[in-house]
Amino acid sequence: MALAREIYQALEDIVGKKNISEDIGVCESYRSIASQTSAHYGPFDHWTPLPQAVILPGSTEEVQNVVRICNKYKIQFKAGSTFYATMAYIGSDYAVQLDMRRMSKIEIDAKNQCAIIEPYAIAAVVQAEAMKVGLNLNIPGVGCSSSTLASTSGWAGFGPTSIFMGASGENLLSAEWVLPDGEVIKTGSAGAGAGWFCGEGPGPSFRSVFRGVTGVAGSMGVCTKIAVRLHPWPGPTFLPSDGVLPAYKAVLPDNFKCYTLCFPDWEGWTTAAAIIHENDVLYLGHRQYNMFGRNLKGAMIRILTDPEKQLCDLPELLEDPELQKQNESMKLEFQVVIAGMTKKDMEYKEKAIDEILKLSRGWKNEMMLEKDVHDWALLYLLRLGHKNLNYVLCGAYEGNFGMSSNLYVTTPLMEEASALKRKWEVEATAIAATGGDSEMGSISGIGGGGVTGWEYFTNFDAYDKDSIRGTKEFFDDTQRWMTEHGLGGDFSRWNTECRREDSYNYTQEEHDSFFVKMAQPHVMAYQWKVREAFNPNHLGGSYYRTLTPDKVPEGK
Amino acid sequence: MSLQDYRPMMERCSMCLNCRWIPFDKIKSQRYGQNCPSIGYYNFNTNTARGRFQMAQSMLDGRTTYTDDVIETIHSCTACGACDMACKVCRYNLEPLDHNLELKAHAVADGKTLPGQLPVIENLVKENTMLVGAKKANRMDWAEGLDMIDLFKETADVAFFAGCQYSYNKDLQKVARNAVKVLQKAGVKVGTLGGADNCCAGRALQMGFTKEYNDQSSANIKAFEKAGVKTIVTPCSDCYHAFKRQYPKSGSTVEVLHMVEYLDRLIADGKIKFTKSVPMSVTYHDPCHLGRLGESFTPWEGKEKKILNQVHTWEPRRPRYTGANGIYDAPRNILASIPGVELVEMERIREYSWCCGAGGGCSDTLPEFSSWTAGERLTEANATGADALVSACPWCKNNFANAVDENGNKMQVLDIIELVQMAL
Repeated sequence: MALAREIYQALEDIVGKKNISEDIGVCESYRSIASQTSAHYGPFDHWTPLPQAVILPGSTEEVQNVVRICNKYKIQFKAGSTFYATMAYIGSDYAVQLDMRRMSKIEIDAKNQCAIIEPYAIAAVVQAEAMKVGLNLNIPGVGCSSSTLASTSGWAGFGPTSIFMGASGENLLSAEWVLPDGEVIKTGSAGAGAGWFCGEGPGPSFRSVFRGVTGVAGSMGVCTKIAVRLHPWPGPTFLPSDGVLPAYKAVLPDNFKCYTLCFPDWEGWTTAAAIIHENDVLYLGHRQYNMFGRNLKGAMIRILTDPEKQLCDLPELLEDPELQKQNESMKLEFQVVIAGMTKKDMEYKEKAIDEILKLSRGWKNEMMLEKDVHDWALLYLLRLGHKNLNYVLCGAYEGNFGMSSNLYVTTPLMEEASALKRKWEVEATAIAATGGDSEMGSISGIGGGGVTGWEYFTNFDAYDKDSIRGTKEFFDDTQRWMTEHGLGGDFSRWNTECRREDSYNYTQEEHDSFFVKMAQPHVMAYQWKVREAFNPNHLGGSYYRTLTPDKVPEGK
Repeated sequence: MSLQDYRPMMERCSMCLNCRWIPFDKIKSQRYGQNCPSIGYYNFNTNTARGRFQMAQSMLDGRTTYTDDVIETIHSCTACGACDMACKVCRYNLEPLDHNLELKAHAVADGKTLPGQLPVIENLVKENTMLVGAKKANRMDWAEGLDMIDLFKETADVAFFAGCQYSYNKDLQKVARNAVKVLQKAGVKVGTLGGADNCCAGRALQMGFTKEYNDQSSANIKAFEKAGVKTIVTPCSDCYHAFKRQYPKSGSTVEVLHMVEYLDRLIADGKIKFTKSVPMSVTYHDPCHLGRLGESFTPWEGKEKKILNQVHTWEPRRPRYTGANGIYDAPRNILASIPGVELVEMERIREYSWCCGAGGGCSDTLPEFSSWTAGERLTEANATGADALVSACPWCKNNFANAVDENGNKMQVLDIIELVQMAL
């Protein structure tokens, strides 16, 4: 049903004629094809619902007024910034899409080491502005094209630098939040008019409501401004990038080094990671280039660092004996960046890395030390630039397995998980054959070291219906394997509790039917109460997971 | 190709929206991080390469029809290729610019044009130029008094092709005259087709008027053959792109050089020597069709081949136009060789340069959008503190000369040929 004229007019009066559209072509471009599954939903061969209108608010006041109109007429709404992930899109037919693009301000508060940002400030620009004053931010795994506000306020948010800087939740300070009913509150110190430097006070915290651990994916109102914690950047005031597209690289001073640390077995790998967790050595730690798969990573690095090479060069590169040797050398590896705050600090960190390698029977891969490759890897990891290497192989990918846990729980299972993926690569053709093990992710998903954040990258072809279907079947199989091993939800299924397979919101009855079976159903029942208090008209969609309290089984 | 042929790209686009930004590795500030004028001005996702893929797919599927907004969106692409190169930082098998142009051609074939396009195309058909009001009969007025060789009677080192802006625009004619004089002073035998040439029609192609482009380009190729043209030198970046990248698809084998390439050679060979100092700081704007779209055409015929189950490649190897091999160094070499000139670079340069806004016919059809795009560049140029903005394309110069930056300030805009002339 189209919006009634008086509703559309009321919305247009708020944002101005140029900043709202119900044109069919415009609205069609605000649908997500669920075969492109970023952020762990799908793959399915259909689109998210068509919005009734697309609205581009330019201020918190405009957001507030739009939300009030939505409440008045019971219209669902969802705010998106970069529209990278399906979670940013609406989930019902009677809904409007907010595009936060016009709200993109960045203010760097160097004294308090934080950036006060609006939704459309992507990580690459926040980082560029922060570096001007010797600071940096944690860019989560989604990459630098993502909205820092969205990932910090609304999703899990760990990444390569989390070991040094912490994950998104740890970096969220004060926030300005338009509640689902249109009221505006400021959390933390901003709530007391004391600046933006603190998330907890003076002033209300609301962290558990507002964000929790994994975030509410934009389903509880609209976050319009946050302060994000910044961290030391002992480098130049901008990333000095040169080289030929797409093989850009960064020549940084000697106090930056990027190494690929390699190990003879998972035991050695685990030993090294565990020591790193206990020592303040890394600026960045990630198993990154294994995203291309155990068999392909060396060849892909050669392609990505040579502007003349293309994917059609893969077969020839895979036959190259020297490259095979290098690939074998980094079969079990992860990448680290060390950054010296002083000359002595750098010397200490170099020695520490060497000592860790001794204790873990490891070595540094030679190919990754070649000057061009080193400088390319360093630039890539620091900016998490062209993060969308995810898409290089096939255009579509999804992370699965998702073993975010203690090192000693997950690493013993790696080969078994890899074998399962390899079986699907060999026996079916739906997913790209990359060598089974394509596990990648953070060495630590929290600041200082601790829980890991890993996923297996599975590449498939979104244009090939058999590939989409077959990939989904593979994910069903990995979920079966995860369940058998007591590992919980597969990464590829994270959002399938939040949006139905047909891409629409779940009804409360549907949510009740599966959350009642949870080990701790009270969590979702508590969230039901929170939603009723903050979002009485249920306008945010079903990314907020709830269970009707009277459905909680007795004794739970 | 037809729009339907682009369906695999539409469905394989990853929705990453790299197409909105200069390569992330190149971003130095928030202010100058964006690359696409169309979403910069209109703000809706629809105006990105991703949005265009999506809109086109919904048209093919029958969900989207030609509304006024859809038609304007389709034609509000300056064909600058910034999205294309940003995409290719990541992807090896998408061609966003080709798709944007095919979408325009599809709309034009369906009769869905903008009002401002028709007089331009009518003039192209009638007078062989896309400058409304200009007459074929006056095409060589700019060259009056210049002693150029008639290529239908004699041979020359190069055929000089001024292009429509330099031929008809009274403010720019002197630049073309100076270009010829500079070449002649360096001992180059400069030939002309004497008005037998037509508009290159590259802009018609950028606007989706494929038939009109084909008619003009065929006529030009025949004229080149008849006159025995081996090498063309042009000071116009639009003409350069048309001749170098598009005409070979229709069989042209003529060597094509932009004036900056030729000047760079002459300076390096010592045939041009500067005698005066030009104490001026300048910033250089890379024209899209000379820079990232200035790469040579390589013929290719082949098909998709999947390897490793689902990795799509091309057999045989397909040329990849990333913009990396455009013409960037030649103009900078020239500026470096002029005594007194100091080059201060903007943040968005070379393959990730911001467009002037004139491309895709937008300066004629969507003047407000076009002017805003030029103003954005002037803001960036003024931020360098340079005395002047230098370019190597009359369309860029013209668009900049008529625009103001975000503070309402104008800027001195020079063609690089003018700067060379000042130093001789």
